[in-house]
Amino acid sequence: MAEIKTEYYRQEARKALKNKVLHAALAGLQERLGKGAAAAYRALPEGPGLRYEAHKMRMQAIDHLDILLETLADRICKNGGQVFFADTGEDAVEYCLKVARRHQVKRVVKGKSMVTEEIGLNESFEKAGIETVEADLGEYIIQLADEHPSHIIAPAIHKTRKEIGELFARKLGIPFTDDPPTLTQAARKALREKFLSADMGISGCNLACAETGHITTVSNEGNIRMASTLPRVHIAVMGMERVTARLMDHDILFRLLARGAAAQNMATYVSYIGGPRRPGQADGPDEFHLVILDNGRTRILADPEFREILGCIRCAACLNVCPVYAKIGGHAYGFAYSGPIGTVITPLLTGINRARDLCQGETLCGACREACPVDIDLPRMILALRAKLAEGDPAWGVTPAGRMEKGMMTTWSKIISSREYYDRSLKIARLGQKLLPIKNGMIRHLPPPFNGWTQSRDLKPLAAKSFNELWQKKYR
Amino acid sequence: MMTTDNENNFISRVKRALKVPAKDNRQYRHLFPNPPKEAVQSVLKRIENRSVEQRQELLHQLIEAGKPINLNVIAKKDVYAVAAAIAGLVQENEPEWGHAKQVAVWKHPLIDRLKLADALAPQDVAVHETDFADPETETDGRNRIRKQIIDAFIGVTSADYCVADSATLVMKTQPRLARTVSLVPTIHIAVIKIDQIIADLKELYTLLKHDPDYDRQGITNCLTFISGPSKTADIEAVMVHGAHGPRELHLFVIIGGESSGRAKK
Repeated sequence: MAEIKTEYYRQEARKALKNKVLHAALAGLQERLGKGAAAAYRALPEGPGLRYEAHKMRMQAIDHLDILLETLADRICKNGGQVFFADTGEDAVEYCLKVARRHQVKRVVKGKSMVTEEIGLNESFEKAGIETVEADLGEYIIQLADEHPSHIIAPAIHKTRKEIGELFARKLGIPFTDDPPTLTQAARKALREKFLSADMGISGCNLACAETGHITTVSNEGNIRMASTLPRVHIAVMGMERVTARLMDHDILFRLLARGAAAQNMATYVSYIGGPRRPGQADGPDEFHLVILDNGRTRILADPEFREILGCIRCAACLNVCPVYAKIGGHAYGFAYSGPIGTVITPLLTGINRARDLCQGETLCGACREACPVDIDLPRMILALRAKLAEGDPAWGVTPAGRMEKGMMTTWSKIISSREYYDRSLKIARLGQKLLPIKNGMIRHLPPPFNGWTQSRDLKPLAAKSFNELWQKKYR
Repeated sequence: MMTTDNENNFISRVKRALKVPAKDNRQYRHLFPNPPKEAVQSVLKRIENRSVEQRQELLHQLIEAGKPINLNVIAKKDVYAVAAAIAGLVQENEPEWGHAKQVAVWKHPLIDRLKLADALAPQDVAVHETDFADPETETDGRNRIRKQIIDAFIGVTSADYCVADSATLVMKTQPRLARTVSLVPTIHIAVIKIDQIIADLKELYTLLKHDPDYDRQGITNCLTFISGPSKTADIEAVMVHGAHGPRELHLFVIIGGESSGRAKK
């Protein structure tokens, strides 16, 4: 498993809140992609309602994952590919390493993939002495800087051109420049050498197709085509939920994916890969391996409340509209997936207790659902996670919130359901608040045991008279 | 490497999560039936019976869809005009990686008719076809073709279809049609006939699925969609063309009346 830092959400988010450069970059991204995707949905001949159709299609596939995965694996094997079913991230990495060792692989080029980030594949390969080069420009920048991606499709969005210029000057030995075309050319040159000399290519998988027995890979740069065509061996790692039933389903799904991800009609490159090079063909890998990964997904599948999240196609549209993501960036979420999708999937994959702050940080504004190309109800699941944290759930190993919080909530519900108690407590509170410091017309801190409430919000002082009292005075 | 145990355990776990009953008679073909025959036939007929005007309209759509993604669509009267235009591109561009000017081309009926070796002879530019030579072993041939494609600054391919709606070239993988010709050289040139243009993805997937070759080879081991030249916006969201793949993509569409019916390979 990759390094998980989701426990540090509060600290990391607080740091990011001061980062004006990050905010400017993310505002630009959201302005362009967030609004662009919405416009692109509206411009569909079928209208934005096509997202509901896609939702149905995805959930039907998820409800029949067993059949679809068997069909997919069977067809890929018939076409000369090899399929490995990995229960855990460790199993997947171990299998990839075994294949690499068998082929005496010294250098791996990687097409952009989040699932290999999830299982920490790079770290294990480097530890095994195999050079592992990220080939997507953004991922390459992040790798040179020894960081992690902060956005699913724009991994280096948090870095300025000046920072990248300095990084390239240091790592690639080129004269400093902050000109994006010149920097891109420098990476193009460096990575071309890697592509041409790599023994193995590793990619993720966007959507698979059970009917034809193919995975698909999507990129704008061409890094995944390079990684899956030039080296002798290609391994694709796929989250088990990515399979779709029919080729025809891809009509709707790819149109929505391209629009949701980048407000495009179609990504520059889409490849359907179903096996290794066939005899007579001039290029393509000699071996093709597909690793189908569980890593906690069957547990999500078994829970009706969260099964819906498996319909996600990881386009990052939800990041591009989320007001919280816009201010804290991707690193605060502490795992491969950030933004609203990260808020839901990270606790489910790494532990709800451990990632407890993520769902508390969201606003429940609902923008993510509107932006989702497959109409996944993220706000519902964020709320469900909060409920689990409050109530506890042994099935997920969630310990309930402290007795104190529960007790207070029970008392509160008693008070607000009685006019008499409510009025009396208002009177007490009005007296009490006189003792509290007020800044800019707001109470900044409540005393214990109420201090939790003002930890991340200010409170408006109670008015001298309630609405009810004013009404009685005026009209009686 | 793959053990059935490995797959069986995995699938059983998925079945348990889905609460599939022990007596399970769900079948793929029942759950995900094909669309009704009439619907498929109507799509295929529509494509087959497109009038000259409708094909022109699709070409126009393709040109428009190509603009925002820097896909340069150029209509040409016939193969001679295309060959001359390609010779022009070879003339006015310089190799990116410092090799002498060389061109890699698919060994493909339509590309053959361009006679590019002849068209480029006056410039003394070598044209490499991506098929195995007669006495050569497959391994030797692959190594030679790989090197030639790496050294080429322009790659010339055709395509099976081109989707007007998204300006997407669609290529199946076949012997003699190397995948890297459209990927590794700096400039990619594609040549198709106007009747290879189709309207949208729905038409594409219908054609792929109902191709007479589908039973034999499916959609092939690698089906590639290309919509414009390689691009990235990973540095401060500034759009740059030529991240890893070609920097330029020129698509020549032959509109001359010599074709009859939809082009098959």
